[in-house]
Amino acid sequence: MASLRLAGLKKSFGAVDIIKGVNLEIKDGEFVVFVGPSGCGKSTLLRMIAGLEDISGGELYIGDRLCNEVQPRERGIAMVFQSYALYPHMTVYDNMGFGLSLNKTPKPELDARVREAARILKMEHLLERKPSQLSGGQRQRVAIGRAIVRKPGVFLFDEPLSNLDAALRVDMRMELAKLHRDLGATMIYVTHDQIEAMTLADKIVVLDGGLVQQVGSPMELYKNPANKFVAGFIGAPKMNFLPVKVQSVAGDTAMVASDTMSPIPVKGRGFSVGDPAWLGIRPQFLKPGPPTDGEGALRGRIALVERLGTETIIAVDTAENERVVAAIPVDVELAFGDAAEFQFNPQAAHLFH
Amino acid sequence: MRTDKLAIGLGKTVAVAVILVWSLFPIAFLVLSSFKPGQDIFAVPPKLVFSPTVQHYVELWNGWGVFFSGLLNSTIITAGATIIAITTSTAAGYVYSRYSSRMLDASVMFLIIVRLIPPIVVTLPLFPIINAIGLNDTHIVLMVLYATFFVSLGTVLMRTFIDQIPRELDEAAQIDGAKRLTILRRVIVPLAAPGILAVAVFVVVFAWNEFLFAFIFTATKAKTAPLVISEMIGSIDGVDWGVLFAASTVQLIPVLLFVIFMNRYLVAGLTAGATKG
Ligand SMILES: Nc1ncnc2c1ncn2[C@@H]1O[C@H](COP(=O)(O)OP(=O)(O)O)[C@@H](O)[C@H]1O
Ligand SMILES: [Mg+2]
Repeated sequence: MASLRLAGLKKSFGAVDIIKGVNLEIKDGEFVVFVGPSGCGKSTLLRMIAGLEDISGGELYIGDRLCNEVQPRERGIAMVFQSYALYPHMTVYDNMGFGLSLNKTPKPELDARVREAARILKMEHLLERKPSQLSGGQRQRVAIGRAIVRKPGVFLFDEPLSNLDAALRVDMRMELAKLHRDLGATMIYVTHDQIEAMTLADKIVVLDGGLVQQVGSPMELYKNPANKFVAGFIGAPKMNFLPVKVQSVAGDTAMVASDTMSPIPVKGRGFSVGDPAWLGIRPQFLKPGPPTDGEGALRGRIALVERLGTETIIAVDTAENERVVAAIPVDVELAFGDAAEFQFNPQAAHLFH
Repeated sequence: MRTDKLAIGLGKTVAVAVILVWSLFPIAFLVLSSFKPGQDIFAVPPKLVFSPTVQHYVELWNGWGVFFSGLLNSTIITAGATIIAITTSTAAGYVYSRYSSRMLDASVMFLIIVRLIPPIVVTLPLFPIINAIGLNDTHIVLMVLYATFFVSLGTVLMRTFIDQIPRELDEAAQIDGAKRLTILRRVIVPLAAPGILAVAVFVVVFAWNEFLFAFIFTATKAKTAPLVISEMIGSIDGVDWGVLFAASTVQLIPVLLFVIFMNRYLVAGLTAGATKG
């Protein structure tokens, strides 16, 4: 088991800066998820922790040990790759035991550890097969098994579920959560899928453009996104953003309005009168119907209605040609082209620069 | 429509038959002749029905001991050259596949250009040097020479093969605790085996049959089988064609078997790689 500390970690490929100074503390036994859009540098950051990419600047501590120059095999980590990276010419047993056989672990211990991992992952019956004889989900298990066998202090996962179909993905997600509970090891998990991040993480690290945008528990990020990027990335459907102008400021509350929206008070710091700003409203906080006193209001025409059963997703085009999405827990009698009016509680809204 | 297809099918069959006859005829002639009694070998018209004899093989065994020591030399040199060539090509192919730098990229071009120069031009000037360091008429000089001719082609071929092995396997092995050489031995080599076999086939066929360099660099101790066969033609008591054909057959069979045997693996390996996706 191990804690980690990333201090001003940087990575450039040639002249291109990919990771631009990441500071992060990861506690022993924590499940940390790096989330962000494709190409933001998640994999690069993970591979720097693994030792598969050189570190261009900053310091990486695993436990108390400065690991910048330490070989991957000496970092006490195990990694599960997106492509699984199983050795095609070895049986499942040999795939899982390869690491132990390399460091000359005695046969009986190797055997015990491989079988224990196989038991945890319920794949004792697959041990003699080759990877080509396994389904995608089974290969995934072998890849995880190979990591477990090494008893690492830190597990690293790079989009491990992205090659599985949707149903299997949900199953494996739950199994990973259970695995984390059972093993109690530190886990760092990379994904571009915010649902995986929300469901698995003790702590989410939102990355964009090689920088940490925000670190926090899933609900902290959901309730108090630090900026427009995080607000738009966490939560589904995506948060709505409407352009507004700041009309007055009182303490940490700003009055904002637009051509089609009457002034409402919204929490937000660092704004001054006349600033343009983005009003952020989660789709779940929009309710059909006219505003009662003090509530914000949005009007427009229905562009799309999606009935999911558990909720109904309604897309509305406002007079300013903004697309606004509402998620309503009941079915509604609305159809394409209808005029519609929605209200929201200004206290549930966010304001971003 | 149907007759068209039939015609094309027939055409293909004929073409294949012609190619087969074209390439098999000399071999068949050689092998059959080695079993014909002396007077039947050049009979006109050629005798297809004859009473087979192993007389020439007996003569070969009794009269040409030097041929069999030549075969032994050929075997040693071929094996050595093959081992040197596949080891070097695999290691170099791995480096070219996994690392990149300006020097490396430039040296690929160099590898190919060097191969375009006629080997004899590069090799002949080596003669005095090889003489001076006492490597003349040794196995080692031909092993190194033959291997060298195939290292550039072999390296390019191995690089292509190893390029198809996902880099993540190296990385997984690295995390599992394998050092470079272990990764090469335990992960890359087993997966690149079809490529290694392909290179081996090239080297074996070349080294086994090579004449010119063997002629230049060996005299007695390391003399190879093709040299002995050529001596049979220049033999003072006239050419004994029966013995010559017998010797050629003995020289031909191992490499023919080797190629046929390897061919199965080559094809299997190549198609397996193609459908892995
Ligand atoms: N070896 C490399 N050489 C050059 N650029 C790279 C290399 N690896 C990754 N990159 C670039 O770094 C950026 C981040 O990549 P990556 O970490 O894989 O993103 P993510 O995993 O978040 O999708 C991408 O723009 C990618 O093109
Ligand atoms: Mg990635």
